Amino acid sequence: MTELAQAVVNGLQMGFLYALVAVGLTIIWGLMEMINFAHGEFLMLGMFGAWWLSAGFHLDPLLAIVPIALAMYLFGMLVYQQLMRRVQGGDPFTQIFATIGLLFLLQNAVVAGFTSDYRFVNDTFLQKLGGVRLTLLGVTFAVPLLLAAGLALLLFLALYLLIERTEFGLALQATSEDRDAARLVGIRPQRMFAVAWGVGAALVAIAGAILVNFFSVYPQVGLQFTVLAYAIVALGGFGSILGTLLAALLVGVIQSVTVVYLPPAFKDAFVFASYLLIGLFRPQGLFGRF
Amino acid sequence: MRRLTLLAVLVVAALGVSTMVPAQPKVAEVLIGSVLPLTGNFASLGQQYLWASQTVEDIVNNDYDIQVPLGPGKGFPGLGGAPIKFIVRDDQSRGEQARTIVEQLISVNKVHWINGEGTSGITSLIQPVVESAGLPLSCHPCASPTLTEKRLKWFFRTGPNDKTMVASVFSFLKEWPERGGPRDLKTIALFTCDNLFCQDNRKVATDLAPKAGFKIVLDLTTKTGATTLASEVQRLQAANADVLFAVQYPAETVVFENDSKRAGYMPKVIATSNGAYSDETWLQAQKKTNGAAGWLGRDPTAIDLVHDRPAWKKVNEVYKKYSRGQNMGELAMREITGLLWMADVINRAKSVDPAALQKAANDTNMSPEQLIIDYKGIKFENGQNVLATGVVTQVGWDGEKHTLWPWDLAARANFKPIFPSPSWQERDSKPKPGN
Repeated sequence: MTELAQAVVNGLQMGFLYALVAVGLTIIWGLMEMINFAHGEFLMLGMFGAWWLSAGFHLDPLLAIVPIALAMYLFGMLVYQQLMRRVQGGDPFTQIFATIGLLFLLQNAVVAGFTSDYRFVNDTFLQKLGGVRLTLLGVTFAVPLLLAAGLALLLFLALYLLIERTEFGLALQATSEDRDAARLVGIRPQRMFAVAWGVGAALVAIAGAILVNFFSVYPQVGLQFTVLAYAIVALGGFGSILGTLLAALLVGVIQSVTVVYLPPAFKDAFVFASYLLIGLFRPQGLFGRF
Repeated sequence: MRRLTLLAVLVVAALGVSTMVPAQPKVAEVLIGSVLPLTGNFASLGQQYLWASQTVEDIVNNDYDIQVPLGPGKGFPGLGGAPIKFIVRDDQSRGEQARTIVEQLISVNKVHWINGEGTSGITSLIQPVVESAGLPLSCHPCASPTLTEKRLKWFFRTGPNDKTMVASVFSFLKEWPERGGPRDLKTIALFTCDNLFCQDNRKVATDLAPKAGFKIVLDLTTKTGATTLASEVQRLQAANADVLFAVQYPAETVVFENDSKRAGYMPKVIATSNGAYSDETWLQAQKKTNGAAGWLGRDPTAIDLVHDRPAWKKVNEVYKKYSRGQNMGELAMREITGLLWMADVINRAKSVDPAALQKAANDTNMSPEQLIIDYKGIKFENGQNVLATGVVTQVGWDGEKHTLWPWDLAARANFKPIFPSPSWQERDSKPKPGN
């Protein structure tokens, strides 16, 4: 029983990290219904930014969150204005190919600039707490992951309030639902989309700055998270921030519990099987509005 | 009579011409098709192989005072001084891409030799393409035994395979108690990734562990590209094996280290086979955390002793011109050794004709003095260098590898093995060589 409880706790801890990665996609794909296959590369840029600020300026990744988020907000807006705005009205395949092109461009640009070496961020605040554990009823909690989970919760809360409780958030939702109607009431859709891309890029870059405490940094690191992030957003329900959080936790727990009882090869198979199962009964996802 | 004499002269001249060896077309440059994983999952490996090929191109084409094949002098003397040229293509760590690239290198670029792909899995996919084209193919760092067990006519590997290298680890573990090592190591857990290389290692270890007196208490295969290994660590912890035999790539090894640290998991011995243990970048990063202290693994050479070789030092200086100052890791050493052997073959063949190259390759009998690595020489049976060797090393508190086995080299290295593997607290509290 303790074994199962430990697996659930491990899964929840990882789930919060997955939620951090998926939250940016919730805005761009889930809310604004635009496809971004370069989402993982935005994460990778956030991780490289955190590594660069740590290696060059001895800035802890937690402090690096601010400049990285700002830089990536601007980068996200730039990507929308210079690339996605031009393909937005076209066939969805155009968006797919545009963002796949962006994926390769960003990945190979980083390979050219930094080489394919694995890079490591050391002596960070969270890493120094690496060996600190809390034990409750025989179940161990890792303090660094608990702190990361707290940060993820804070981000989700802030995003939820931004989308659901502010005029800006309502304007974003209105643009997503009916662009022409939004324009009639004075909302500038292009601006909304640009800001959504900026916020989405900033959020996933923040996730990257937190992830460098737990993962190595290399140009292809984003890919392994991208597929999971897409599954999480679809599982949680398009446009639902709460749904994304809960789906991420569910994915973490499924992965973790599966491995305790079955060979690790089934880890992701069960994640996607659960997505298919839920899709049969709730195609809109767990908390989807559409 | 005059007419008869003229006829005789013409007949003799014609006979003379017909018995002359046809002149070889002059070789302007020797083209080596190099297919490497420069982007994608195995990019960090591909990058080291790229630097290795740039190093060899430099050594062959320029006059270096280095006692390795084709070190002194410019170009291939056997081909009138023709230079070597590597045509490098990136397969993005994808098998189907590698096959297409190899077909292009053969049919469009008309290369004389294919080198690559650097990983066993993808090399096994390009082998049939090159074999049917009838060109020499080499992959020196590829360690899967299956690559040379197919009895292909055109494939050559100078490096040791996993049977040799994993056997080294188990020979060491078996003989260690007789040499003052611990006598209470009885159980082992296998922890491997899911590609051809990892699974070959797993198979060899599954076979050798019981023969070395170990009971396998857990055999876990993980997914390459895993984002978490927390539950796997939980199972390893529950199995409580004395020895952990881990074969994982650097990214997954970092995930494993973090999850182990959080869970407080540390077996008595961590033994590895390649993967992160061969990756110079991972090793350098561990110096800042003491993360690799006490890890032992297989290497193709005594890393701590090889530095004393004058040729190694000089080759390393050339390598550093391309590697942004990074020293040769063992993978780079294996690749450079193999590429210099290839250059020697081409020079001995005095031709780029595939059959001549194949014959010269099979005729190889290279002495250890010509190598930058501790092989006993280079000599082939079914494309495998039977004189390639395995060595067991351990990372010390200084962050460097030290030789533990074979015992004669270990005596020269004079290193006291770290046992048991230090706890995470001990690693945190000790001074870190990288800081």
